[in-house]
Amino acid sequence: MPKHIVRLILLIVAFGVAVVSARNFLVDKSFYEYGHYRGNAVAEIARDKPKYQGTTYCQSCHAAQFAEWSKGVHDRTDIGKVVKCEVCHGPGGGRDPQQGYINASTGPIHPDNLKLAVPTDTRALCTLCHEQMPGRPLQQAQIVIEDHAGAQQCTLCHNPHSPRMIFGSLAAPAHPGNAAAGRDKIDMCASCHGAEGISAGLPGPTLAGQNEAYLVEALKAYKAGKRSNPMMTAMAANVNDGDIENIAAYFASLKCKRTVNAADQAALARKAGASVCTNCHGANGISTDGMAPNLIGQSKDYLANALKAYASGTRSNVVMFALTKGMSDVDAEKLAAYYASSSCK
Amino acid sequence: MDEKEQFGEGQAARRSFLGCLGTAVVGGAAAVAASAMLSNETRAAAVDAPPVPAIPGYDWSKHHWAFGVDATKCIGCLRCVEACKAENEVAPDAHHFRTWVERYVYLEGEDSARVDSQADPVNIEASGSEGKYRFANRYKDAKVDKAFFVPKLCNHCTHPACVQVCPTGATFKTDDGVVVIDHTYCIGCQYCVQACPYGARFFNEALKVTEKCTWCYHRITKGLLPACVEVCPVGARIFGDRNDKQSPISEFIKNNRVEVLKPETGNAPNVFYVGIDKEVS
Ligand code: HEC
Ligand code: HEC
Ligand code: HEC
Ligand code: HEC
Ligand code: HEC
Repeated sequence: MPKHIVRLILLIVAFGVAVVSARNFLVDKSFYEYGHYRGNAVAEIARDKPKYQGTTYCQSCHAAQFAEWSKGVHDRTDIGKVVKCEVCHGPGGGRDPQQGYINASTGPIHPDNLKLAVPTDTRALCTLCHEQMPGRPLQQAQIVIEDHAGAQQCTLCHNPHSPRMIFGSLAAPAHPGNAAAGRDKIDMCASCHGAEGISAGLPGPTLAGQNEAYLVEALKAYKAGKRSNPMMTAMAANVNDGDIENIAAYFASLKCKRTVNAADQAALARKAGASVCTNCHGANGISTDGMAPNLIGQSKDYLANALKAYASGTRSNVVMFALTKGMSDVDAEKLAAYYASSSCK
Repeated sequence: MDEKEQFGEGQAARRSFLGCLGTAVVGGAAAVAASAMLSNETRAAAVDAPPVPAIPGYDWSKHHWAFGVDATKCIGCLRCVEACKAENEVAPDAHHFRTWVERYVYLEGEDSARVDSQADPVNIEASGSEGKYRFANRYKDAKVDKAFFVPKLCNHCTHPACVQVCPTGATFKTDDGVVVIDHTYCIGCQYCVQACPYGARFFNEALKVTEKCTWCYHRITKGLLPACVEVCPVGARIFGDRNDKQSPISEFIKNNRVEVLKPETGNAPNVFYVGIDKEVS
C-alpha cells in the first residue's frame, strides 16, 4: 500500500480515537445507564428534603390542638375531606438554599430554626375555602362574607381547630333542673315576667321557652352582682341557690310559639342589618342549635338596652361585645325593632 | 538516496510525529477496547438484577405512578398552587407555575366559557400579592349558567413530546413513570417548552433552565404524597401507584369514567380527569 494512503488511514483512525476518548471523558459515566440520560440525575432529583411534614408530625408536640382538630369538621378522613395543619400554618420544614440545582437534603425544621405563623387575618384565610362563589361545589359550606360575619374575624365565633364549636356557646347546666319543683318557686316572678313567662308589656323580659342554661347563668349573674338591675338584683337575692336550676327548667319548659318563620324573615333581617345576628339568634329570634338566648317575645326597649349594656361593658360577653362595640344607637334601635317584631303567640 | 536529503528537516519531524501518533492510536484503541469490554462485563454481570438508581429504600422498578383529578370536588382554594411553590421553591410570582387551577364560567346566553386562572391580574389583586393566590369573586353578581374549577399540572405522558425534542438528554421519563429534568444537563434551549401541548413547562430565567412538575419526585420516593395532594382539603387530587390495585389512583380509575386532556396529540397522558367539560383541554 502506498505510504500516503497508510498515513491517511492512520489520520482517520487517530481522529476517531480522539473523538471516542473525548466523548468518554466528557459524557457522564452514568449516561445511558438506564436510557438516554444521566442515570445519576434520578437519585439527585430524589434527594431533595420534603418541606411538608404531615399532621402526625405536629401531633407529637401540639397534642391539644391536634386532639381538638381531629374531633372537628376539618378532619373528616371518613369522607376524604381534611384541612391539615400545614394548610393554615405553612410547611413545617425548609430546605437550605443552594447554588443552582444542587439538590438539597438538609434544611431547617420547625420548631428549632423555623417558626410557624399563627394566622391573624382569618377573614382572608377561612374564606379562601368558604366564600360563596360560582363554581364552588354545593357540598362545600359557603358564606356571603358581609352577611355572615359583618366586619368580624372568623375566630371571634369559630375555633379554627374545631370550627363547629362556637365560642360563647351555652353548655348544658351541670345539674339538670326539675320543672315541676320550679313551678312552686315562681309566684313572685309572675308579676313582672307573666304567669306563662310571656312578658307582653310587663317590666321583665319574656322567659318562656328560653334556653335553660342561659337562664341559669343569668340568675347566677344577678346573684353574684355580675349583671345588675334594680328590680332583678333584689329578686334574685331572694332565690335560693338550690332553686335556680329548677326555676330555669320551669321557664324553659313553657311555650313561646313563634309567629313568624325564619325562612320568610331572611330578607328583612338583611335589611335591618341583622344577618350576622341570625347565625346565632335565628332570623325569628329563636336561637339555632342553642348557641345563644332566644330573642323572641322581647320588647324593643329591653333588646336595645341589652345591646347598649354589652357595648358599654356592663354586661360582659366576648361575642356580643365585639358585635356591639362602636355600634351607633340608631343601628341598635333598628336591630332591637327588628327582633321585637317577632312575638310569642 | 537518503530520505533526509530528499525531504529535508520538516519532513523528518512530521515522520516522527506520525510515528508517535501511530503508537498513540494503537494504545488509545487498546484502552477504548478495554473500557468497552469492561463495561460489557459489568452489564453482563447485572443482567439478572437490572441496576436501579441509588435512592435509599426505594426501588423504581416496583412502582408505576399516576395522578387523578376530580374536578367536581375542586373548590378553587388554590392551596395546591401555594403548596407546590413552597415545596419546590418555584419563583413566588404570577408567571411561573408547576401546577395551576383554571376557572371556567359560562354566563347566561354565552356559548363559550370565560376562563381565568390564579395568575389573572384580577385574581392577583384579590389575593393582594403575586406570591399568594385566591380567586376573586368576580362573577358573584353575574348570571352564571355553569361554572367549575379544573386543576392542571404536567401529564407525565407515556410518549412525552418534550423528551423527544430534548437535544441533550436532560429531560427523560423514569422507569416509575415520572418525567423529570436533569438541571445540570439542561442548556435552556426551551424546545421542550414549545413541544409540550399542555403548557406544563416554563423557563426559569434566574437559573437558565426549564422547570416543571415532578409529582414531587423527592417526596414520592420517600413514601409521601406530592405536596399538592397532601394539602388538598377536598380530595380533588388523587395520587398513587397503579401497580397496587388498592391504591387511591387504581380505585379512582376503576370506579370512574376517566378521560385525559388532548388525547389526539398521542402523548398518552397519565393524569386522569373526572368532571371536565367540552372546552377543557
Ligand atoms: C418537636 C416538637 C414540635 C413539633 C413536631 C411541632 N411543633 Fe409547633 N411548636 C413547637 C414549639 C416548642 C413551639 C414554640 C416555639 C416558638 O414559639 O418559637 C411551637 C410553635 C408553633 C406555632 C406558633 C405558636 C405561637 O403561639 O406562636 C405554631 C402555629 C405551630 N407550632 C404549629 C405547628 C405545626 C402546624 C406543626 C406540624 C407541621 C408543628 N407545630 C409541629 C414544637 C413543635
Ligand atoms: C383552618 C385553619 C387551621 C388549621 C387546619 C389548623 N390551625 Fe392552628 N391555628 C389557626 C388559627 C387561625 C390560629 C390562631 C387562633 C387564635 O387566634 O386564637 C391557630 C393557632 C394555632 C396555634 C397557636 C396556639 C393556639 O392554640 O392558639 C398552634 C400551636 C396551632 N394552631 C397548631 C395547629 C396544629 C398542630 C394543627 C393541626 C392539628 C392546626 N393548628 C390546624 C388555624 C388553623
Ligand atoms: C383549605 C380550605 C379550608 C380552609 C382554609 C378552612 N376550611 Fe372550613 N372546611 C373546609 C372543608 C373542605 C370543610 C368540609 C368538611 C365537610 O364537608 O364536612 C370545612 C368545614 C367547615 C365547617 C363546617 C361547615 C358545615 O356546615 O358542615 C365550618 C364551620 C368551617 N369549616 C369553618 C372554618 C373556619 C372558621 C375556618 C378558618 C379558621 C376554615 N373553616 C378554614 C375547608 C376549609
Ligand atoms: C319587679 C319586676 C321583676 C320581678 C318580680 C322579677 N323580675 Fe326578672 N327581670 C326583671 C327585669 C326588669 C329584668 C331585665 C333586667 C336587665 O335588663 O338586666 C329581668 C330579667 C330577668 C332574667 C334575665 C332574662 C334575660 O333574658 O336575660 C331572668 C332569668 C329573670 N329576670 C328571672 C326572674 C325570676 C326567676 C324571677 C322570680 C324569682 C324574677 N325574674 C322576678 C324584672 C323582674
Ligand atoms: C356567635 C353567636 C352570636 C351572634 C352572632 C350574636 N349573638 Fe347576641 N348573644 C349571643 C350570646 C351567647 C348571648 C348571651 C350572652 C350573655 O350571656 O350575656 C347573646 C345575647 C344577646 C342579647 C341579650 C339577650 C337577653 O335575653 O338578654 C341580645 C339582645 C343579643 N344577643 C342581640 C344580638 C344581636 C342584635 C346580634 C347581631 C348584631 C347578635 N346578638 C349576634 C350570641 C350571639
